[in-house]
Amino acid sequence: MAMSKTTNTYNRQNWEDSDFPILCETCLGDNPYVRMTKDKFGSECKICMRPFTVFRWCPGAKMRFKKTEICQTCAKLKNVCQTCLLDLEFGLPIQVRDSALKVKDNLPRNEVNKEYYIQNLESQVQGQDNANPLGEVGKAQSSSDLLMKLARTTPYYKRNRPHVCSFWVKGECKRGEECPYRHEKPTDPDDPLSDQNIRDRYYGTNDPVADKLLRRASAMPVLTPPEDKSITTLYVGNLGEFMSESDLRDHFYQFGEIRSITIVQKQQCGFVQFTSRAAAEVAAEKSFNKLIIMGRRLTVRWGKSQAKQTSISDDGSHLPPVPGLPGALPPPPPMSMGGGGGPSGSNFFNLPMSSGGGPGGGLPPYFLPPPPLPSGPAPPRASAAAASSTVTSSSAPAVEPPVPGTERPLPIYYPSQDPTRLGAVQLKNSKD
Amino acid sequence: MPKVRRSRKPPPDGWELIEPTLEELEQKMREAEAEPHEGKRKVESLWPIFKIHHQRSRYVYDLFFRRKAISRELYEYCLKEQIADANLIAKWKKQGYENLCCLRCIQTRDTNFGTNCICRVPKSKLEEGRIVECVHCGCRGCSG
Repeated sequence: MAMSKTTNTYNRQNWEDSDFPILCETCLGDNPYVRMTKDKFGSECKICMRPFTVFRWCPGAKMRFKKTEICQTCAKLKNVCQTCLLDLEFGLPIQVRDSALKVKDNLPRNEVNKEYYIQNLESQVQGQDNANPLGEVGKAQSSSDLLMKLARTTPYYKRNRPHVCSFWVKGECKRGEECPYRHEKPTDPDDPLSDQNIRDRYYGTNDPVADKLLRRASAMPVLTPPEDKSITTLYVGNLGEFMSESDLRDHFYQFGEIRSITIVQKQQCGFVQFTSRAAAEVAAEKSFNKLIIMGRRLTVRWGKSQAKQTSISDDGSHLPPVPGLPGALPPPPPMSMGGGGGPSGSNFFNLPMSSGGGPGGGLPPYFLPPPPLPSGPAPPRASAAAASSTVTSSSAPAVEPPVPGTERPLPIYYPSQDPTRLGAVQLKNSKD
Repeated sequence: MPKVRRSRKPPPDGWELIEPTLEELEQKMREAEAEPHEGKRKVESLWPIFKIHHQRSRYVYDLFFRRKAISRELYEYCLKEQIADANLIAKWKKQGYENLCCLRCIQTRDTNFGTNCICRVPKSKLEEGRIVECVHCGCRGCSG
C-alpha cells in the first residue's frame, strides 16, 4: 500500500487493537514463559480484511514460530483460536462443531455486507466483557455427545512442528543438519487433507479435516454387550500411573452397586465388576468412548467371561444362596440437564428404603424382589460341564438348566461367601 | 584492511614476517567480495566476509598476546592501519568472550527481546542435538 498508516485515516476506528490474543492451548505451546511480539495493525485479517494486531511467538523448543491469522472479532464470532481456527472448547474444526451443535451461521460473504455486519456486532459488544462468543455459537452452548467423543483431551503439540522443507522434497536442500525445516516425506498430494483453505475452514464449507472427522464419527464403533448374561465386568484401559481405585469408583458407582474393582498397575488397566448386569450395561453405554478422568480418555470394554474361569477353578465349593437378599439395585434414572431434581430423583443415592426388605412390602415398583431361586435366570457358574458347553456354543447360556445334583445356581457372587477367601484352599485341594 | 596505505611512515620491524600471511588473507577477502550471491540465502552472503575479518584480527591478536611474537609497535601499527579490529580484540580480552565471532552477535539492541545471538548460548545450555548457525555471521557457537 502506498499510503502510510498516518496518512490514511478513513475508517480507522474499525482497525482492531488488542492487548492479548485469543488462542488455544495447543497453539500457545508448552512453555509457561512464552514471549510474544506484538505488531499493531501488522497485517490484515484473512477473513474480514481489516488490519488487526498480530502476535507472534514460539510455542516451545523445536517448534515453528506462529502468529495470529484472523482478527479477534472474527475469532469471537465463531469461538475459535485466532491462529488455528479450531474451536476453543473442543479443539475441533468449525464445520464439525456447528454440525454437532446444529448451529447455522449466516455470515455475510459480500465485502460491504461483512463490514456492516461486523460493525454492528462490535457496537453491540462494546460494553460487555469479551469472554463469551458473539455469534450463533454463543447462543447455542450445549454440549453434545459427538463433540465429547471427537474432542482431544490433551493439547496436540505436533501441530506446531516446522513445515516440511520444500527444498529437501525437491532434493536440493543444501543446509543439511542446520535446516530448521523438517526433512521428512511430504503427505501425498492426492490426499484431500493436503488441500485446505482458511476461508473454507472459517465458514465451515468443504473442510477436508471436518469431513474426515465426521466420517470417523459415523464409523465410530458401538459397544455391544456380550451375549453371556453373566458378564458384569467392564474393562477400563489407559488408566495411567496415578489413577486410583477410588477415582474409578467415584465415576462408576452412579450406575449401580460395584462388587469389586481391580487395578492392574502393570498394564495400566482395571476391571470394574458390578453386581448386576443392568448396571454394567448402563455403565458401558454411558461411559464408552466419552469417559475422561483426570484428563485421560479411558477406554471402556466389556470384560471377558471371568465367571467361567472361576466356576472351573472352584467347582464344587459353592454355598447355597442366602435367601431373602434384595435384588440388584436399579440403574440411576436418566439425568436431566438440571441435575438430579424432580420426583424421579428423590432416591438420589439409590439407598434402599428399608434395610433387609423382604419380597413385596412397600418398596418402589422398580425395586424388585430377588427372583425365585431355582427357576430364575441361572448364571452359568453352575458346573464345569455347563461352563465348558457354554464356551463352545456360547448361545444363551442362561437358559441352560443346571445339571441336577451338582449345584444349585447362585444368583449373586458375594466375596464374603467365597470359602477360598476364608482359607478353604486346602479343603478344595483335598476334595479334588 | 584499507585499500590504500595512507601513512607514509615505514612499518615497524617484523612487518616482513607477518606480511605474507596478511597478504594471503587479503587475497581471500577480495575473492569473497567478488563471489556471486546466486544460490545463497539473503543472510548467507556476508558470512565469508565476517569469517575472514575474524581470522585476520585473530592472527594479529594471537601473535601479540598469546605467542608474544611481535612488538607492541607493530601491534599498534596493525590496529592503526585497521588490519586488526581493535573493538573485537577488546572483547576477546574479557572473560567469556574469548572466542567471540563478531560484534553483531553481542549487540543486544538489535534484537526483539534484548538478547544476544543464538551462537552466544553455550552448547550445554542448548537442547540436545540442536545445531545452530547464526544469521549474522554463520557462527556455529562461540561460547563454551
